[in-house]
Formats: sequence, C-alpha cells, structure tokens
Amino acid sequence: MRSEDILKTVEMIQKENLDVRAVTMGISLLDCHRADAKQTCQAIIEKINRHAGKLVQTCEQISSEYAVPVVNKRISVTPIAHVGSGFDRDGFIQIARALDEAASLVGIDILGGYSADVANGVTSGDTELINSIPEALSTTQKICSSVNVGSTRAGINMDAVARLGHVIKELSERSADSGGFAAAKFVVFTNQPGDNPFMAGAIHGLDQHEVVINVGVSGPGVIARALERRIANDGAENLGLHDLAEEIKETAFRVTRCGELIGRRVAAELEIPFGVVDLSLAPTPNVGDSVGEIMKILGMDAIGAPGTTAIVAMLNDAVKKGGAFASQSVGGLSGAFIPVCEDRYLADAVRDGSLSLEKLEAMTSVCSVGLDMIAIPGSVDAATISAIIADEMAIGMINGKTTAVRLIPVPGKEAGEFVAFGGLFGESTIAPVRSVGKSGRFIAFGGKIPAPIHSLKN
Amino acid sequence: MSTQSIEYIISITSQDRIGIVYEISAALAELAGNIADSRQSVMCGYYTMIMRASFPVEVTRQTIEAKLAEVDRKSPTPLNILVNSIDEPLAIMGSPENRYVLTASGADQIGFVARVAGFCVKYQINILDLSTTLSQGEFVMMLEVDLSRCASISEVRTALVDFGRENMLRVVLQHHDIFKAVNEISLPIRPKREH
Repeated sequence: MRSEDILKTVEMIQKENLDVRAVTMGISLLDCHRADAKQTCQAIIEKINRHAGKLVQTCEQISSEYAVPVVNKRISVTPIAHVGSGFDRDGFIQIARALDEAASLVGIDILGGYSADVANGVTSGDTELINSIPEALSTTQKICSSVNVGSTRAGINMDAVARLGHVIKELSERSADSGGFAAAKFVVFTNQPGDNPFMAGAIHGLDQHEVVINVGVSGPGVIARALERRIANDGAENLGLHDLAEEIKETAFRVTRCGELIGRRVAAELEIPFGVVDLSLAPTPNVGDSVGEIMKILGMDAIGAPGTTAIVAMLNDAVKKGGAFASQSVGGLSGAFIPVCEDRYLADAVRDGSLSLEKLEAMTSVCSVGLDMIAIPGSVDAATISAIIADEMAIGMINGKTTAVRLIPVPGKEAGEFVAFGGLFGESTIAPVRSVGKSGRFIAFGGKIPAPIHSLKN
Repeated sequence: MSTQSIEYIISITSQDRIGIVYEISAALAELAGNIADSRQSVMCGYYTMIMRASFPVEVTRQTIEAKLAEVDRKSPTPLNILVNSIDEPLAIMGSPENRYVLTASGADQIGFVARVAGFCVKYQINILDLSTTLSQGEFVMMLEVDLSRCASISEVRTALVDFGRENMLRVVLQHHDIFKAVNEISLPIRPKREH
C-alpha cells in the first residue's frame, strides 16, 4: 500500500470524522397480523426482538473492529397500514405503542414505518392509520410516520394532501409544549422508496426481503473538508468547478466504500441480506457537518442567493457519480438533504433572510429530498400547508424523483422567532410563509392530480 | 528443474548502480535457482533486495555463496550478501481479517521507532511491513500489522490511547480492509467471522 494512500485515509477517518451515518434494519411485519390488535402487538414485538435483538451489539462490534463509528442504529418496518388493516384507530394506536416498546427493547433510537401509501386511493386501513397519526406520534417516543400521497405513475391524491394538512396542524398542536415537535416525526412523500435507511421517512417496502440491512453513508463534513483541502492546496484561482466536482466524486467514492464495507459486515454477522447503500449527505446540527457549509465553500456568500440551486445540482450529481461506482447496490434517497433545522448553515441563512421557502423549493427540484425540517408559523392554516405539500409533490411527480415535506408549524410563534428541538433535530428561526390563506379554494377541490405524460419532455 | 528443491532467503545490499538485479539473477539462474518472491528498495543511493528462491537439492548453500561471491568480485561496488536456507516451514503470516494498519506520528525524536516497536512486542503485534516518512514537519511511522495473537482488539485500542498520550504521539489503528475499500477498485468482502 502506498504511504500517501495510508495518510490520506487516516486523515479522512480521524480529522474529518468519517462515519457510517445509519445502519437500518428493514423488517417485514406482514406475517404479524392476528385476530385482534393486542395479539398483533405481541407478534410485532416478538418478531422485532427476534431479528433486531443483536442489531445494536453487532453494529458496535463491527464499529470497534474497524474503528469507524456507526452513528445511528435504526429499524424500518412494513407500512403499518398493511399490518393493521382491519383494525380501527385505537387498534393502530396500540400498534404504535407496541412498536415504541419494541424499539426500546432492542435499544434503537428511532423506528420508521408507521406509514401508508395512498397515491392511488385510500383503504380503510389507510384511513384509520392516518386518523391515528396525531395521537400515535404525540404519545410515543421513537416512532416515525410517513404517508406517500403521489407517484409519477399514479399522480397526486389531493384528498389525502388536504387531509394531511390537518394532520400536521394537529400533530403540532398536540405537542405545543415542545414547539410542535411531533410534526418533525412525520413526513409526506411522492415516489417514496421502500429501502431508505434515513428517518423520518424510512419504511420497509412491500417488494423487499423478509429482513434486510440498508446503510446510510457518512455526512457532508467529509466532503466539506476534502474541498477545503483541495482549495488550500491548489488555490481557488487555479480550480474550475469541474475540478471541485471531481474532488466531491472521489470523496463520495471513499465514503460510500466505507459504508458498504461496514454494512456488508453487519449483514454477514447477522446472516441477513444486504440491501442498499444510500448515498445521501445527511447533515446534523454539529459543527462541520453541514450541506450549507459546502455551498459556502463552493462560493456562495449567502445561502439562497442566485447560484445556490446550480451548486446543489452539481454537488448532488457528483456524489451520485462517485457513490454509484463505489457500491454494488445504491438505493434509498441518495441525494443531498437540506433539512433546515438540522443544518446549522441553512438555519443561519433562514435567520438572516437569505434562504426562503421558495428557494428551498427550487433547490429540491435538483436534490433530495424536499422541504425538510422547516419551522413555520403556528398560525399558518391547514389548507396553506396542504398547498405547500402539493407544490413539492408536483416537483417529484413530474421529475420522476422522490420529494417530501416535513414542516413544523410552531404553535404560538411567528416568523423570525426561534425554536429548538434539541439533539439531532436541531433548531432554527421560524421561516416566513408568504401568501398564507390564498390556496383554500384549490385545496377544497380535492380529487386527484392525474399522472403526468411520459413523453414530450420539456 | 528437479522435483526436489530447497528454499533459500537471499539478501543483498550495495551501493545502487545499473546491473545489480541482472548480475544476481543471472548467477542464480545458472545454478537452476527459481526466484519465487522478491522485494527491493533504494534509500539514499543504497540498494537492498531480499528474495526467496528454490534450488535443486544438489545445489548447496556453499555453492550459492561461492557463485554470488564471484559476482561480488566482478562488481565495481562491493555487495553484502547473506544466504540462509529455510529449514522450517514458513511461519503463518496471520489472517487477513486480523490485518491492521498502525500509524504513529509526532515530533521527530530519538527512539521513536523503538518505542512504537516496543509497544508492538508488548501486545504481541506482528509487524508485517514498516515504512516511515516526514509529512507536514512530523515524523510518521506506518506499520502493517497482524493482530492474530492479541487477546482483544479493544484492549489494544485502550492501551494505544495511553501509549499515544504518554509519548506525545498521534497513534491510529485501522483495519486494513478500510484502506483497501477506500483506495482500491474491488471491495474486500468477508464472510461471517467464526467465533
């Protein structure tokens, strides 16, 4: 091995905090449905414990062997609307509590999959699950929920979008004492993938294995440091954007390799199949772990200023190019995340007024995953929230990509005020929403936005 | 080549010049010697080579030494030559899953290498490859090591933290697979470990 390779690798792991962001075990719960909710809950707890009982311990063992931290150990399950179909709202809430209990039992911090797919239409199970979401999420600790309301093949279910505006309002009002935090555990999707290891939107899709390990790669910090080093070595005046794109690509290759190596070892130890590596750059509120910082390094003096969308597009594409070659199976969301509260630079840009909801929306048309972790005034009405969702879903539907919305209306607070959710969920100034209350007639139509045409692409 | 053969380890040191490899290998070929493995390195104009070669049973160590002494006599630069037969079977080199890379960096000081090597002896760490370099004003020592004989990796890691602190060194122990994974095209994939 060449000594410069050794030194570069050591630097990446030690100074740049290379890690594996998430090892997520997907578990099918389809065989857990029983005659009543109580027995179903027992079957769920038993099955999760049976498969994931050693997940945390195994991740820690492999992590110690390789001296690469596995930051989050999580579980995704079959969308619960399928598992609990036939039960009423109370039955679903019992299942949510059972999932919470199972998560604590196996020692993970978050479990995703309290979910439904209503892109085409709504079953009775979907209805009961959606009705249960506000109580389920505000009375459990570790459960995350998601609803897929649209797809490129099916169009957008606008009845569901209208309903979910109210669900988000209720989630925030039920958790008013924590700034509306319950809404941070709920996300609305178009083209939701069934193999995404990242929360809050992880589910174990119906087309997946019985049990599987999916992995989310290291965060944006490693990319940021690589860019800084390249610019310091070569001088900004000697570098074109293509050189920086190449640096991102190479670093993404290394980061992905590391994720795949660790993920495959965990899967081998647990004797279950390895699913995918998700290439997404997921920021955290920690210093030096920000996608916004990469935008600054790449030349934006204010995030949200003209040029920001182009930079995000280049970053996202370069990460995919490096990662796709590094991994045997790439999947999940695989794009740069721009979750405002969870990314210090983005949160600061919202505070300074340079980054608006509209610019964030534009950025999501070229990256993963959508309007994510954005605190908005508690006074914004449900129809306006639904309309914001509809806009974002349309971007995903037309462009054949995943988009999502995770908005947190903060009860009793207005734009410019501050909210902190703590830990990985971060903090932010509340972003202004323009033209509130002007979308009611549109949302009131309901029905469906038809699936888009797949030719005449312009 | 006869079916019966004996293996030798031959090492040569000399001032570097054109033709050393040719002269040595030609001499060995005349004795029907088959070179199985070899490494060479040049440092400050000095050349060193170590090789593993097998010879028919009738070629003795003395024959090889005499042949190489002949090369030395004709050589414009003196050659330091050592020939040893491999009597014991090759020592087990450890297993790939126990292969790690240890790097230690800090201010250049007398006894640096000895201290790090001493640590390796204490924890039964076998050094497979060693190189040192100066990087950003620091002395950096890089060792490929085998930890097969260590009782526990976590014990070594804990001891390494103390060792680094006591000696004012930055020491990092990383699995060899990580380096392969991030620097090479193919991914090192391993099955479940036997416990």
